[in-house]
Amino acid sequence: MGCGPSKSGESDMGKSEKLMKAALLIQKWYRRYSARLEARRISAWKIYQSIEYAGEQDQLKLYNFFNNMLAFLPPDQNSNQHLSSVITARFTAGAVTRTESEQELLKHTDYTTIRVTSSYKGPRLTFPLSRYQLTTLVEGFKRGKTLHARFLLELLHNTRQLLKTKANVNVVNLNITKQLTICGDLHGKIDDLFTIFYKNGLPGPDNPYIFNGDFVDRGNHSVEVAALLFACLLLFPNDVHINRGNHEDSVMNMRYGFMKEVLNKYKDHGTKVFTLFEEVFSWLPLATMIDKKIFVVHGGISDNTTLFSLETLDRHKYISVLKPPYQIEGGNSEANDSGKPKMSEIIEWKQVLDILWSDPKTQLGCSPNSFRGGGCYFGADVTDKFLRSNNLKLIIRSHECKRDGYEYTHYKQVLTIFSASNYYEEGSNKGAYIKLGQDHKPEFVQYMTTKASRGRNISIRQRVGIIEASAIRNLKERIFASGLELKQEFQKFDPENTGRLHVMDWCCAMENVLHMELPWRTLREKLVDVDADGKVIVTTMFDFCQIHCNFTTAQEGPSLTETLYRNKDSLGTIFRIIDKDNSGSISMQEFEDACDILSRHIGHEISKEQVVDLARCLDINKDGQIDFNEFLEAFRLVDQRPRTDEELVSLSLTSMSDKEADLLSRSSGSTVNII
Amino acid sequence: MADEKESSESMIADVQKRITDAFDIFDHESNKTVDVREVGTIVRSLGCCPSEAELHDMLEEIEEEEPTGYIRFEKFLAMMTHVLMERRYKPSPEDIILKALMTLDVEHKGHLTQEEITKYMTTEGEPFTPEEMEEMLSAAVDPDKGVVLYKDYASAMALEET
Repeated sequence: MGCGPSKSGESDMGKSEKLMKAALLIQKWYRRYSARLEARRISAWKIYQSIEYAGEQDQLKLYNFFNNMLAFLPPDQNSNQHLSSVITARFTAGAVTRTESEQELLKHTDYTTIRVTSSYKGPRLTFPLSRYQLTTLVEGFKRGKTLHARFLLELLHNTRQLLKTKANVNVVNLNITKQLTICGDLHGKIDDLFTIFYKNGLPGPDNPYIFNGDFVDRGNHSVEVAALLFACLLLFPNDVHINRGNHEDSVMNMRYGFMKEVLNKYKDHGTKVFTLFEEVFSWLPLATMIDKKIFVVHGGISDNTTLFSLETLDRHKYISVLKPPYQIEGGNSEANDSGKPKMSEIIEWKQVLDILWSDPKTQLGCSPNSFRGGGCYFGADVTDKFLRSNNLKLIIRSHECKRDGYEYTHYKQVLTIFSASNYYEEGSNKGAYIKLGQDHKPEFVQYMTTKASRGRNISIRQRVGIIEASAIRNLKERIFASGLELKQEFQKFDPENTGRLHVMDWCCAMENVLHMELPWRTLREKLVDVDADGKVIVTTMFDFCQIHCNFTTAQEGPSLTETLYRNKDSLGTIFRIIDKDNSGSISMQEFEDACDILSRHIGHEISKEQVVDLARCLDINKDGQIDFNEFLEAFRLVDQRPRTDEELVSLSLTSMSDKEADLLSRSSGSTVNII
Repeated sequence: MADEKESSESMIADVQKRITDAFDIFDHESNKTVDVREVGTIVRSLGCCPSEAELHDMLEEIEEEEPTGYIRFEKFLAMMTHVLMERRYKPSPEDIILKALMTLDVEHKGHLTQEEITKYMTTEGEPFTPEEMEEMLSAAVDPDKGVVLYKDYASAMALEET
């Protein structure tokens, strides 16, 4: 150590130490702030997932309910007979076992008689397709055009013809193609598909793709996404591979928006288009095998999954994977088929259900997937056994939304890929696709598609605030919809009706009723107020808003409104099933039937007089018909409190997306409903 | 005395419930374990402000003999209960943070340039990763002036906490 100007030397040392200490302090402080944001973001995420799966569970319950109704209703009771025939008519219209001949199908979905007038300015297609036509299709969709029914139907017919020649399991050989792109769920989000094509190029002989299912439902452009994928498939049948997802299924489409989108966009031709989509979906291959080493399937596997079975079964008989392929006793006029399913039929059906619906989990073994209500949870041991016995190294699947667009699990033997960004909400997650080379080492490209108009640079804090506000709003809807049940449960903890609960009891009650496995304690402050003693004030949970319905009558009590609101999605599904001609209108009798079916499904009395009253009130034109879409959209949760800034931003983003949505498609009921 | 005992017991129960909730948020597979890399986030989300070095010490206490990459709930709960009851790693109040930011402003300009704050945050103390730096800048930089007005930044952050 030299003896330089010691005083300034010391102060230099002191200064740099001060800087270091200051930096450290700021870093600690910032990291704490960041951690709290992360905790909030994950909580919001869990809320979304919970709500999503609760919806799916409900759908499956409803579906099982229908099956049971058809199988077990004693035929002698008049009302049962009537309901049974209503449902049967709908379910067998699509011919569960496709006894309808080829000619009949072609007749029902004929497009040659459809005229395209000169007023149509959208893309025009001629077959066989050319690359140029593909680009005009992309351009047309980018400009918001809807493909004319005539061209769409022809596209679907051609797609069907092609798919019929394909095996259940696509085969890809990377020695030939050198590299491959694999995409996951798109759910009608055409902007994400545009992003993928922009970043990665359109499919082609040196740019092969696998699309791993779920390209319809939930988003607003399911028709366009499907049309583009099918056009790519027709152009490059050896380089584009499409796997079926659990949403390529008419029963799911009745609840999750695809059917509604089709009927809205295609009106008179809607039924033809939807029927043909249903048919095309049933011909989609179930999986893809890469180099006999990597198995690509939409959901996952179970401990019963057998490649041989998957490769050899008749996939076409599963029009809807939720409909067992065997006839249900009394459900079909075909007299020669016996009603009882064979064990082998059930086993085979379960195979298909499992690969489209299952989720990987940490727990070992294989158990029914209660969260979703279909398929199973499979553990790392099941994966390991499957890979070993089939000499494979990796399962690539989709089906679950992941924050980063992809996620490894089961010691990197299972890879989830999800391509719909902002799936729950603006900023909720990235989308991603896989790039795979001959070395079989997946690489990932991530993106988050934001509309130009919303492209303002927002900070993480704001983004989390928005996601959180939106998640909480959705959660409040569910809470509100279960109001009666919750109040009853609270009473158990508060027998003297003080209207106050210990926080722990409140958390318990919430979980008992809602079954959402959420961190209630952490969420409490956003949902309910506490008094000076720290006890929950029950009324503050419900007094913030009301269910607003345009059609309330004098006699109708709040409980009917609440019941209908709470089961809006199921009711909508029931309506669509009953509405045989897909017109969007049902008769008053059918409306009453629907409410009757709903009451049996939920196991809860719905007053017949109130329903009849409501029906009369809904028949505004007095023509004996009720527009059920309007009816469902009339239910809204009206928030009576002043909104926070974040809530306002979140709502404005939601309504912007509604405006940007296809003009012809109506927005779903409440603007806050993301299901 | 009985009251005191009861209230301290209920305080512990309260603290433990908070810890459980925070842990559950990061328990992605619902099996009462969390990835060791997320422990820091959990500890901080509970309101503590340890440095990376202090975190490292905490982890040593609760990791398994053979590190598995996962931390189990029981061990975390025990350690964290002590940390919270003893109020360790308390965060610094706003004025201290402000002083620290001012210290970095060696030229006493009243603001920090992006280059300045990036330099300090990524080279001094326990440096930020590029992602952390980007995140901080996205909120800290005033969009009109292009610099970090640290007085405003500090108070905005403090407001967030309430």
